[in-house]
Amino acid sequence: MLNIDLQYDWAAFHANYQVSIEPGVTTLLGGSGEGKSTLLHLIGGFITGQGILTYKGESLLSLPAYERPISTLFQSDNLFPQLTVWQNVAIGLSSSLKLNHEQTARVQWAIEKTQLVDKVMRFPHALSGGQAQRVAIARALVRNKPILLLDEPFSALDPGLREEMLYLVKDMTGELGLTTLLVSHLPQEAMLSGGKVLLIEKGQVTAHESVAVLSQTEVHPLFAGYFGRAHRTTMLPE
Amino acid sequence: MNGWKPRLDSRLFLPVLYALKRLTPALFGVGVFLLLGAASLAALLRYSEFSTWWEYMQQPYLWRVVRFSLWQALLSSGISLLVALPVASCLMHRRFRGRSLLLQLFSVSMVVPTLVAILGLVVVYGRNGWLNQWFGLTTPLYGLVGILLAHVFFNMPLAVRLLLQSYDLIPAGQWRQASQLGFSRWAAFRWIEWHYVKKALPGAFVLIFMLCFSSFAVVLSLGGGPKSSTLEVAIYQALRFEFDLNKTSFLALLQVIICTSFALLVYRVAPKNPQDVSLLASTHYVIKDSLWAKGADSFALLFAFVLVVPPFLAIFDPIFSLLFVQTLQSSALWQATWVSLQIAVPAALMSLLLGLSFAALARFCMDRPYLSRLPTKIEQLGNVILMVPGLVLATGLFLFLRDLGWGFQSSYWVVVWVNAIMALPFVLRALMPVMYQQEKRFRLLYLSLGVHSWSRWCLEWSLIRVSVAQALGYALLLSLGDMGVIALFGSQGLVSLPLYLFQLVGAYRLEEGACVAVVLILLCLLLFYGSSRFIGGVTNRAKH
Repeated sequence: MLNIDLQYDWAAFHANYQVSIEPGVTTLLGGSGEGKSTLLHLIGGFITGQGILTYKGESLLSLPAYERPISTLFQSDNLFPQLTVWQNVAIGLSSSLKLNHEQTARVQWAIEKTQLVDKVMRFPHALSGGQAQRVAIARALVRNKPILLLDEPFSALDPGLREEMLYLVKDMTGELGLTTLLVSHLPQEAMLSGGKVLLIEKGQVTAHESVAVLSQTEVHPLFAGYFGRAHRTTMLPE
Repeated sequence: MNGWKPRLDSRLFLPVLYALKRLTPALFGVGVFLLLGAASLAALLRYSEFSTWWEYMQQPYLWRVVRFSLWQALLSSGISLLVALPVASCLMHRRFRGRSLLLQLFSVSMVVPTLVAILGLVVVYGRNGWLNQWFGLTTPLYGLVGILLAHVFFNMPLAVRLLLQSYDLIPAGQWRQASQLGFSRWAAFRWIEWHYVKKALPGAFVLIFMLCFSSFAVVLSLGGGPKSSTLEVAIYQALRFEFDLNKTSFLALLQVIICTSFALLVYRVAPKNPQDVSLLASTHYVIKDSLWAKGADSFALLFAFVLVVPPFLAIFDPIFSLLFVQTLQSSALWQATWVSLQIAVPAALMSLLLGLSFAALARFCMDRPYLSRLPTKIEQLGNVILMVPGLVLATGLFLFLRDLGWGFQSSYWVVVWVNAIMALPFVLRALMPVMYQQEKRFRLLYLSLGVHSWSRWCLEWSLIRVSVAQALGYALLLSLGDMGVIALFGSQGLVSLPLYLFQLVGAYRLEEGACVAVVLILLCLLLFYGSSRFIGGVTNRAKH
């Protein structure tokens, strides 16, 4: 259980997030500028806020980013362009890139899992967008941290590819028992990944529901503002 | 894009023609630079007799000078970079009290008037210096050690700044990853920093090597005799004492050949330096710290501090003496200050205009069919003064103007122009990266909106003004402190502050000289501050 009660102020933006997140995939929905990514950056330790942030009863707030039990996938810049695919994955285990047998096997496992076996010697500039994000997922796999944060990592991909990635994340989350937070601006992504959905508006968590609410014919009252009336018919197929 | 072969197509050339029209001011600037350069070299060569050059080649003295020039330049640039590497990394990662002050000191110390810095070094390391008084240590200041000390004092901060520029190219995303993956400082250096720094090293090495190879004032004052002399000093002697134009051209050509072949050699083995553009605003991400990293950083910082700060403090030593007040009242001092300003301000403005011309032209050629290789060439052209001795260019220009019927009254303009050219490499260093970056990021946007020429400058101004201010500041300080050309062309009515200082020291009026040094450095600080304050503006970088 990830318990969040965080305040963060930046210029005219005042955020106050209060929510408890269970293992499984939770999708963060909300308009742009409402504070979805800010919450992710707070949890990841990339910006500092006040309040409470605990995972399984232990406070994370005073820990620097590298000591939190977290892996993060960003929209871009997840890979080091100067390292090969193999090195980019392996560096998640050892920053000196010196691996023992067990670690090497683990990298191999993650690379197979993400279907990158024939790309291991490539450099990131020779990868497609989808492949690059798969490398980042493979690194998150080897790091084996219980919390996975995804900051719109697939938003630049084609719909088909995006779907494939979401399934990969969903399977991983189930298989490894992760607590996964996915920031998205597409309700379909939430429906594909299942689990729960959080609505974030003006720096606050205004709804925390099962993803099933999105597929009801009647718009859930809490989501009415987000979808708007006109959107309702076009966004969600019956 | 690399595989794309441009076709000869009139539709392709028409826009280029329009753009060329807009580039007229830039082309004019670069054209004047080229014409005057060519004219001065031609004038000089007309006074040369090539048949006698073979004789010069056989003088053992010449080869001793060449050997020493090379040796001290190699050592100076090597040591400067070696010290600069850990210092730059530390300044990149740590935020501490006084950091920005130290950075400012670094940015000034590379352009601080040579003579002033030498005076500071003498106060610290000299026979009756602080080091001797407090610790009983004597440094053999006159000779190789003194030259190295002075060169590292000037160039280590330059190296730090050049390296920090390459650090700026590292996308923030990489630090974010390093922060989450728990990289140690060593891992961060090995996997991230070194990748970017190694591309900046050859350029920095060549720049510092050339500055040291053609070092003049340092060697003249700290060389301590013909045993440690450089080509540049030999050229000065040939001109000033022998007025042997033939020998001068020979020595100048030799210097150009050595510098060029050295630069070619280094660039041959150097990795290419691509212009990465970071799209993320630079936020500071914390990298895992350790005792080892703390120790290494403290050591590096302390070393740099001890090297750079005491001579600076020493310069201000005489400020509370009675003599200082007396010196302030001498009219010769204020006359010299006025002359210095008359030289520095026009020279700096010319240098800036030239720099902007070069930059506008270079970035126009970027990534265009047929022209994409030109930007580096244009930059190298602007840096050519690093290879051609300023003294030689000045003499050539003087002869050229004399042939046109201009007598000694041309000296002033010769000094101004050559100072402008000598500051150009520094101006370009400050301007080019940000100009390229603007072009790379926004070219298509500007193109699609039809924004160009003056309106583009207005839009870009707020983004480039910091660099423009830095460029102007460098140019001002370099011209203000110049002790090369003015040493040759200075006359009764044309005594700048550095020359006045040199005359005082030469007449063994060292204390009075120290007071003049204070005035000179205060003037420098004032102008540098004014430039960055009023042209650079107050920078308000968004934090997120």
